[in-house]
Amino acid sequence: MDYYLQQLVIGLSLGMVYALVAIGFTLIFGVLNVVNFAHGEVYTIGAFVGLLIFVSFAPPLVVVLLVVLAVGAMTGVGLERFAFKPFRRFNDEATLKSRAMREATLMSSLALSIVAREGIELFFGSQFQSLPLKHMLNSPIKIGPVTIVDGDLIIFGTSFLMLAGLQFVLKHTSVGLSIRAVSNNPLGARYVGVNTDRTIAWTFAVGSGMGAVAGILVGLYYGAIFPAMGFTPGIKAFVAMVMGGLSSIPGAVVCALIIGISEAMSSIFVSSVWQDLVAYAFLIITLIFFPRGIFGGARERV
Amino acid sequence: MNASDTSHHRWLWTGIILTGLFVLVPLLLSLAGRSYFYQIANTIMIFALLAASMHLVTGVAGLLQLGHAAFYGIGGYCAALLATHFKLSFVVTIPLAGMMAGLIAFLVAVPTMRLVSIYFAVATLGIGQMLHVITLNWVPVTKGPNGILLFGGMKVFDIDFSKPVPAYYLVAVIVAACIYVIHCLSHSYYGNALRALREDDQCADAMGINTPRLKLESFTVSGFFAGVAGALWAHTAGYISPADFNFNVSILILSMVVLGGLGSLPGSILGAIILIGLPEVLREFKAGDFRNIIIGIVLFGVILFQPRGLIGEVSALDFIRNQFGLGRKAKNDANKTDGKQMRVGWL
Repeated sequence: MDYYLQQLVIGLSLGMVYALVAIGFTLIFGVLNVVNFAHGEVYTIGAFVGLLIFVSFAPPLVVVLLVVLAVGAMTGVGLERFAFKPFRRFNDEATLKSRAMREATLMSSLALSIVAREGIELFFGSQFQSLPLKHMLNSPIKIGPVTIVDGDLIIFGTSFLMLAGLQFVLKHTSVGLSIRAVSNNPLGARYVGVNTDRTIAWTFAVGSGMGAVAGILVGLYYGAIFPAMGFTPGIKAFVAMVMGGLSSIPGAVVCALIIGISEAMSSIFVSSVWQDLVAYAFLIITLIFFPRGIFGGARERV
Repeated sequence: MNASDTSHHRWLWTGIILTGLFVLVPLLLSLAGRSYFYQIANTIMIFALLAASMHLVTGVAGLLQLGHAAFYGIGGYCAALLATHFKLSFVVTIPLAGMMAGLIAFLVAVPTMRLVSIYFAVATLGIGQMLHVITLNWVPVTKGPNGILLFGGMKVFDIDFSKPVPAYYLVAVIVAACIYVIHCLSHSYYGNALRALREDDQCADAMGINTPRLKLESFTVSGFFAGVAGALWAHTAGYISPADFNFNVSILILSMVVLGGLGSLPGSILGAIILIGLPEVLREFKAGDFRNIIIGIVLFGVILFQPRGLIGEVSALDFIRNQFGLGRKAKNDANKTDGKQMRVGWL
């Protein structure tokens, strides 16, 4: 029983991380109706920037997280500038929602993600980066019968703070209002005077900042920072987005938690090398049986 | 330019390509005199076949496919397992590997055919990853990350083709035959139906084209040829491991198709030659580490600046007209917009 509880805690913190990454996907999909394939690399960049700061300055964790958040946001804005903006040549609704536009941006972001990943690999090598042990978040804490590590608590705390912060930004600031307006109806937002280009840049900033923080949190939790680390969480977050109904943030968060917990639970029954299959199976099942997401909602043909 | 002219051109091009493939390249390779170069030539031909098979499904039928390496891998593992466990010969393993990959492509396609655009792309990516995880971890059968060594070389009816020159010719004949079949498929009424699917599947459906069936068929055929390519790879390289068939390989094949021009078969082959050949040339200049980064930059540059690729699509309508001797009439009708519309396609 204790073992189950322990796996549940691990699954929850894993799910929280996927949720942070999934929110970036969901926000961007909501605003632009495109998939950002370079989102996983933002996660990697977050981890590497955090590592560099730790190694060179050794500041407290909060400072690192804030710097990573800022760097992630800047990466997101740069990504939007190079991989997405050049394809928004026309602003009519048919072009914005066209298949050509989606597939072109999918491939341009994929291409940039290759460049980013290989660039990091050239610079740091493809091996795991050595992380000073004192920075790793795995000192055990005993709560009743369950032993967790402080990393679990920190991931929970940070994720909750960021989710609350996101909710605040979306509901109570003018940037959030314009993000919601653009994702609701890009043309309508433009007609009433919302600067859509700037709003899209803000969306990338918010989403990528959260993804980057997820990267450094996971890096410190598992002590595994390497150039290809962003690929799997990226796919899983994408699965969470599809399951949650494409542009619903609560849906994405709930589904990310479901994926995280089922992965952790699956390692009770089978060897942990198979746990990646869980998310892919979820993806295929969702696409085939619930193409509108398990909560319903999305309104287009998939 | 009238119909008979174009027909002459076609024979001329076929002649040039076949002479190049069977005379000039082997001549140059034997002058260079290193068996390593033969291995590169084989790799280029195998990837040309892979790019051509992806051309059929992504370029012509417009289904963005992000898991092509999975079918390549199925073919490779199938051939390797048949050759090592059952001692089957080269002649048997190649078609069996293709059929296995085609069968699995069919099974994958049945439930995913309803999906369109990026959802289909992501479904294929998910399936590709699943198969990769399976090859990596199903150790009793696939030997996991250690891969499988193939002994026994390539024998066709007791004639040994394992030496570099015969191996080159064997691969060249098989690849040329497969690409010819793909050429016939994509430059025909059947290919035009697939193009209709790419341009607007709802419209094609309304015109009475059975779209799910076409998608299913093109996906299965493409899987079959990817499987043949995988089997050729397993036999020529003599060793396979899951790393040969991971996501990066899918992206590499996609980059070839996009670089050459979506919907253009010569373009896909040119893309394969460039993206396999270029890193080898760079290696001579000690720049081999930049291989993947160059692929990324090339892909990005092509999508941004030359979305039709190096060789745009050869208009299928023109091709058909010429074949049936209607070329002059069509030209005189000044019906050039048709050709242009065919090429708009993706972007």
